[in-house]
Amino acid sequence: MADIDNSILAVRKLDVKFHTDDGQVHAVKGIDLDVRAGETVAIVGESGSGKSQTMMAIMGLLASNGRVSGTARYRDTELIGMPERRLNTIRGAKITMIFQEPMTSLDPLYKIGRQMAEPLMYHKGMSAREARPRVMELLKLVGIPDPERRINSYPHELSGGQRQRVMIAMALANDPDILIADEPTTALDVTIQAQILALLAELQQKLGMAIVFITHDLTIVRRFADRIYVMRRGEVVEDGATEELFVDPQHDYTKMLLAAEPTGTKLPPPPSAPVLLQGTDVQVSFKIGGGFLSGPPVLLQAVDRISVALRKGQTIGIVGESGSGKSTLGRALLRLLPSEGRIRFENRDLSKADREEMRPLRKELQLVFQDPFGSLSPRMTVGQVITEGLLVHEPSLSTKERDRRAIEALKEVGLDAASRNRYPHEFSGGQRQRVAIARAMILKPKVVVLDEPTSALDRSVQKQIVELLRKLQADHDLSYLFISHDLTVVRAMADYIIVMKQGKIVEEGQTADIFDNPRHSYTQTLMAAAVDTTKFRLAG
Amino acid sequence: MTEAPNIVPAAAGIAPADGEMALGRSLFQDAWRRLRRNRAAVASAVVLVVLALAGLIGPMVAPHSYDRIYPQYVRVPASFEAYPKEDDIVPAFESALARARITIGATEVNGNTVSAPISDDEPLDPRITRYLDRSDLFSNVRIDQLSADGRSGVMLADVSRLQFIFGTDNNGRDLLARILIGIRISLAIGVLASAMALVLGVTYGAIAGYYGGKIDSVMMRIVDIFYSLPFIFFVILLVVFFGRSFILIFIAIGATEWLDMSRIVRGQTLTLKRQEFVQAAEALGATTSGILKRHIIPNTLGPVVVYATLLIPKAILLESLLSFLGLGVQEPLTSLGLLISEGAENIRGATWLLIFPAVTLTMILFALNFLGDGLRDALDPKDR
Amino acid sequence: MLLYVLRRFASAVPTLFVIVTIAFFMLRLAPGGPFDLERPIDPLIIENLKRAFNMDKPLPQQYMLYLWNLLHGDLGPSFTRRDFTVNDLFRFGLPVSVQIGGTAIAIALVFGTVLGSLAALRQNSWVDYSVVGVATFGITIPPFVVAPILSLIFGVYFGWLPAGGWGAPGSMVLPVATLALPQMAIVARLTRGATIEVLRSNHIRTARAYGLPSWVVLYVHTLRASILPVVSYLGPTAAALMTGSVVVETIFGIPGIGRYFVQGALGRDYTLVMGTVVVIAVFVVVFNLIVDILYAYLDPRVRYD
Repeated sequence: MADIDNSILAVRKLDVKFHTDDGQVHAVKGIDLDVRAGETVAIVGESGSGKSQTMMAIMGLLASNGRVSGTARYRDTELIGMPERRLNTIRGAKITMIFQEPMTSLDPLYKIGRQMAEPLMYHKGMSAREARPRVMELLKLVGIPDPERRINSYPHELSGGQRQRVMIAMALANDPDILIADEPTTALDVTIQAQILALLAELQQKLGMAIVFITHDLTIVRRFADRIYVMRRGEVVEDGATEELFVDPQHDYTKMLLAAEPTGTKLPPPPSAPVLLQGTDVQVSFKIGGGFLSGPPVLLQAVDRISVALRKGQTIGIVGESGSGKSTLGRALLRLLPSEGRIRFENRDLSKADREEMRPLRKELQLVFQDPFGSLSPRMTVGQVITEGLLVHEPSLSTKERDRRAIEALKEVGLDAASRNRYPHEFSGGQRQRVAIARAMILKPKVVVLDEPTSALDRSVQKQIVELLRKLQADHDLSYLFISHDLTVVRAMADYIIVMKQGKIVEEGQTADIFDNPRHSYTQTLMAAAVDTTKFRLAG
Repeated sequence: MTEAPNIVPAAAGIAPADGEMALGRSLFQDAWRRLRRNRAAVASAVVLVVLALAGLIGPMVAPHSYDRIYPQYVRVPASFEAYPKEDDIVPAFESALARARITIGATEVNGNTVSAPISDDEPLDPRITRYLDRSDLFSNVRIDQLSADGRSGVMLADVSRLQFIFGTDNNGRDLLARILIGIRISLAIGVLASAMALVLGVTYGAIAGYYGGKIDSVMMRIVDIFYSLPFIFFVILLVVFFGRSFILIFIAIGATEWLDMSRIVRGQTLTLKRQEFVQAAEALGATTSGILKRHIIPNTLGPVVVYATLLIPKAILLESLLSFLGLGVQEPLTSLGLLISEGAENIRGATWLLIFPAVTLTMILFALNFLGDGLRDALDPKDR
Repeated sequence: MLLYVLRRFASAVPTLFVIVTIAFFMLRLAPGGPFDLERPIDPLIIENLKRAFNMDKPLPQQYMLYLWNLLHGDLGPSFTRRDFTVNDLFRFGLPVSVQIGGTAIAIALVFGTVLGSLAALRQNSWVDYSVVGVATFGITIPPFVVAPILSLIFGVYFGWLPAGGWGAPGSMVLPVATLALPQMAIVARLTRGATIEVLRSNHIRTARAYGLPSWVVLYVHTLRASILPVVSYLGPTAAALMTGSVVVETIFGIPGIGRYFVQGALGRDYTLVMGTVVVIAVFVVVFNLIVDILYAYLDPRVRYD
């Protein structure tokens, strides 16, 4: 690769290895990379591609079992192998970094004003008092409301988006040349994500630093980045100017990533389709606090009088940001949480059904969770996991018959029959999610609540799971309640959409109507945020 | 780190299980592999097995019984040489025989027999052999070459060679035999008390954690109060109540050591209850007992096993402390703690009485601690 | 913050009350009495003795009486040490125990945290291995083994320090060493574990990414967080050490209060045992309170719970 003019960060043959108990892991395999002054470079790759470790290596932040070789020159200074003391004159001053986890990246024990002042104190030799006006200025710059008060807040008193703003402010304190942003929006809600991206773009225009943007989501950097590096398994498989790469991807992997977004639409069921699961004025409230000397408890309305009717063969998408009550609604409809209001399944009233009465119905009403790591018991084999429901609902089955059903279910979700003798931790996230789906499908249910089933997965895996769910729906005439914050996925899966905010429905309707013509201002914000980050291909 | 897309298309059918696929490693197998690599833990396990066998079988095969008193061998130092020492044989022989008030000629030691010509004014009473028989040094005492008038002859005795490789205590009991029985008692109390604490703590903690809410807060408040009481208070009161007995001691210790266990199990149960796989089982319609059996208990097992391993040394220590205070097992039975406290009292004249039991106890405690730490690291690799 | 302290204080009172009640009745229900162990004496004398100690009244009344006196700070006369009140015994013994225990805890805290953080910073080096080794040693070997061995080596064999007794110069060294060793070991282990965990946390990565000097990363951002588990450990431990250790006081012949409980329980010296329980419980409650306040000061997250 030819040298690029006025490159301020030139990485050559960078190689990162980790020594672990299970042998050596080759995380980054001799990659080359350049960053020019003032440009935005995106490094895109799915989990395990080595994109973060590349930047960690340059910043001298590798875990202690990591070994790095190759070179990384910042202007005329070699960063790799530089003594910590000299490296400290560059990081935090010339090159700064923000991270994916705004919740934990700030020290919980100190006020944010104090933490933000530290880079100024140790790089510019200011006292805490001298740094204060600058800190205040930075807080205003990143749009923190009421900075006079916030400067004395502790991190846990701020929201996720605000913490990420504080991190950005801190990164800008010393007017850096390069700002490395490691998945800065992944942990945030879509609307916040859009705000943070807009803020970064605005700040770059104002201040002119280069930004290295690390992300797993190729689509969100289209408008944002000048150039893109695509990484896979420790190698750069393709790089180039953003538009070129989007219009004419060369490498198969890039093509796959671009096509990874779930596409297609779901047709609504015929109007004659019977209503299977119906909730009327469903209400769930949680008691918060309360106790000796701390005042009366506060009632939180997690789900506030919501009515839903799910028809046979229908997929209702429930959309909302974290805390909107969408997962609570899903669980309440399955009577897994105590709730008020009426719930009917087929012709039975479930409103008063207790655990015992619900048990036979559980076969018909299934649930798939978001986290494919937490939802499988680590001490059970995959075979035991997926046949647990059979033990409850078809206790008369012989062991052999159960095994046959397990193999059948695994085949149906595209897993090898031999997987049933292995343990969940041996599988990747997508495979685990397939196991979780097999666990639900083995009972041949009528209604499945899918609680963010794709949110913890890489884009390319997401697409596979969406396709699997669609196929299963078509094969078995299933009804889905699809809960997600990801509009792209919902659009591909659902024929009807409910938008929730703070426990209430703000808007509902056919998928096409909601996407093309959102009426409520919150839906519009949500759409705008999603469109901002994901839909440039249509515009471009 | 890299996750290979290992998904077989459904059409491919059932692939023959190749070796790697079939050999799924469970978490326990993983843990076992890590444990075996931990040399300190493996060595500790070996030491423990050896000591446990010594405690179990040792007292049966040891040359001396733990309660046999050898009055001639009070506080003899540890030695690999057999007692009596060569120089001691003749004086001991003569002094024992002197009480028979007869004339004794030159005493000779010949291998394992001692002999001395004896004579008296009156015929020799055959019962005088008892003076020697009574001593621990001699056996098979007989009078040979008795003259016709019965007034002279040769007194013959076999020397009993006794080994006290750890020496003897203040009463002339073999320290090795006492240490062996002490190991038995200490380990038994440790294991039984831990088992009791385990049962009590797991039950209490699981109930509190499973029911949660008010029941949980009341039950944990009770535990808090127990924590504020000096633990030894209960043990002493229980011992004072019912007198000193082996069973009581382990019950008393078990009853004071279950608090930590109940907290651990409660915490585990609370966390597990919130795990998605438990919710998933609920969504499948699994019964409470099914959830407990398949999901909660197998997942609490790891920390419980680890904590139980660390509980045994605590129980042994507590028993030792009780014995040290004179509230432990009763003579002639003994425990390592009791032996140490006796050793501490005799520190100025007989250091072996302190050193050998102290080293034994320390070895047991070290081994148990290393094994517990090894288990914890093996089951919870993020600790490393 | 003040409300928090008040609330913690309010919850301590019922705890103390429950402890006193349980202890009182358990003790009285135990077979035997304070006057059983002596030679047979005239029943009349026993009657008088009982009257003198209020033992002739029904148990509930005795209990109320005890509570009443306790509220006035009167722990009653000792049954076995006839010339002393329990208050007197504690007035003489408690300062000795507090002095030894306090010194031990201070030493354990300072050396334990220093060694623990050194080991964490040089994880898997020889420094780490030796600290972990010494710590395992300190935790494993019980004080009743350490005490006589220290006494043997330094008191008897070398004769550098008094092998026992109280008041002579240097007589504090061996008891304090015996008490401090295991605590130091535990503190070192706790600090090491916590420091390793904190060093791996995201906010330390942030501090390093911003080029803060390593001493700032260490003293400002790591130490404060890694000392938190030590703080919660030290509460009950400080209380236990300052109320005297029966083993150390017995072996070194120290006139502290550690021996009172065992002696009192064996001799059915009701007031002495109760007094010990009350003193220990008060220490535990007070130190837990101090720890909670300190914790809330160090960690802003708990202040609002």
